Amino acid sequence: MNKKLNKNRNILIAVDGSENSKRAVLYVSEIINGMEGFHVTIVHIISIPPDDYFVSEVEKASWIGTKSLEGNKILQEHLNLLLISGYYKEDVETKLIVKECISIAECIIEEQKNLNCGTIVIGRRGISKKEEFIFGSTSNKLLHESKDCSVWVIN
Amino acid sequence: MKESFDGYSISELKDLISEHIGAERVPKNLNVYTDTSDFYRVDYDDVVILGGKPYLIRNNEREGRFGIDEQQKFWVKRARDLTDGSVKIIKFVFHERFEAKVGGIVFECFRSPRKEARILDLTKDHPRFMHGFSVTDVSNNIIRIIDFIKGKTFADFVLTLGKNHEDYYYNHFPSVLDEFIELTMAIKFLHEHGEKHGDIRRDHILKDSSSEISRWIDFDFNYLHKENFYGYDLFGLGNILVYLAGRGDVTIQALKQNNSSVVSSLVSDDMNIIFNNRVVNLRKVYPYIDESLNYIMKHFSLGAETFYDNTEQFLHDLMEARTNIGKT
Repeated sequence: MNKKLNKNRNILIAVDGSENSKRAVLYVSEIINGMEGFHVTIVHIISIPPDDYFVSEVEKASWIGTKSLEGNKILQEHLNLLLISGYYKEDVETKLIVKECISIAECIIEEQKNLNCGTIVIGRRGISKKEEFIFGSTSNKLLHESKDCSVWVIN
Repeated sequence: MKESFDGYSISELKDLISEHIGAERVPKNLNVYTDTSDFYRVDYDDVVILGGKPYLIRNNEREGRFGIDEQQKFWVKRARDLTDGSVKIIKFVFHERFEAKVGGIVFECFRSPRKEARILDLTKDHPRFMHGFSVTDVSNNIIRIIDFIKGKTFADFVLTLGKNHEDYYYNHFPSVLDEFIELTMAIKFLHEHGEKHGDIRRDHILKDSSSEISRWIDFDFNYLHKENFYGYDLFGLGNILVYLAGRGDVTIQALKQNNSSVVSSLVSDDMNIIFNNRVVNLRKVYPYIDESLNYIMKHFSLGAETFYDNTEQFLHDLMEARTNIGKT
């Protein structure tokens, strides 16, 4: 990635493999397509459950291995969507993040800062009010917690 | 040569049982365990030696869960410490992982002895939690040895207060709310230390009959949170608050039996966001309930526009409401 890239032209798309995140990638493709100087990083976050969740380190390693394979597959699928749309390989990259996240939104914001992205794009999952009450909403949290960056929530 | 278990011979163990439990209660054949991996084998009148101390096993503990009352917990035993005769709860290692379904929402839950051991250590000097410690047996199983708390659940205690709801609300609820605020502060303490209770519900608060203080019990449960680390714990606190303010669950079914005029005024937005038969907007049922308290409870209703993000926000509103309650 070009380190001197303008932050405003540096976009992070957070994907989880759902149809909503595919829509988010396609939306970016349609909006940005053809314009020079933009860089897109497709990020997939695997939040490792706390150590308490696992019976042993072996089980934890196996869990991470399985999820990482799935994560890389998801990233490749989303990358292909952009490449098919005419993006150049050098303008797009993927990043798999495997870590224990207290909140997915916080991990996305941390990555946005690391990559110096001016825009975060995410698909809205359309969870119910009940689910938002118990689990919280990643897109809502991104909208509330992000600073110095735009957030696009794609329906 | 005499058989010895972690320094104790069978005859020494029998002497200890005789001393603390009674000569007539000494089993003829004594089974002694130092490895608790197969906890199903450990039964009534067996002795388990943990951390160098012998414990005489009594009954399995029981617990109601998901509407099924009195399920035996084979991994949780009541026991007597044979060095001083005190009653303990011994929790063996039972890894359990399952999908719980509450109000149509599915989430992944798991049981962790390590988590409970950590919280026991964190809260060892905190009066609002059960107390105990953890040891590892010869197979490195993390066993929790917990002081038995004598007393009824806080929820059952509350039901004994007041001649009717109005009497309860004016004459007893202020002190019940004070107690609940202390309990909420205890949960905030956990959250500040990066821990969840994991299974907040009203039968997990015991009113210690010796100190009259209510205390949280059972920390081995956990849930895989998503965006909000505190979400399920907060849901539990909200449910308990509504229960306390209503002096029990106020259900649409019970209201229909007793007061049809109130039922006609209730709309779906007044009901619990997950348990849709429970009334949360209690001011419609008991108009003397303070508005500031009702405002907090409505955060847990189907009509809620906003939710609490963390215990601090919830506690802030509770303390504010407390200043309006109990004024004469």
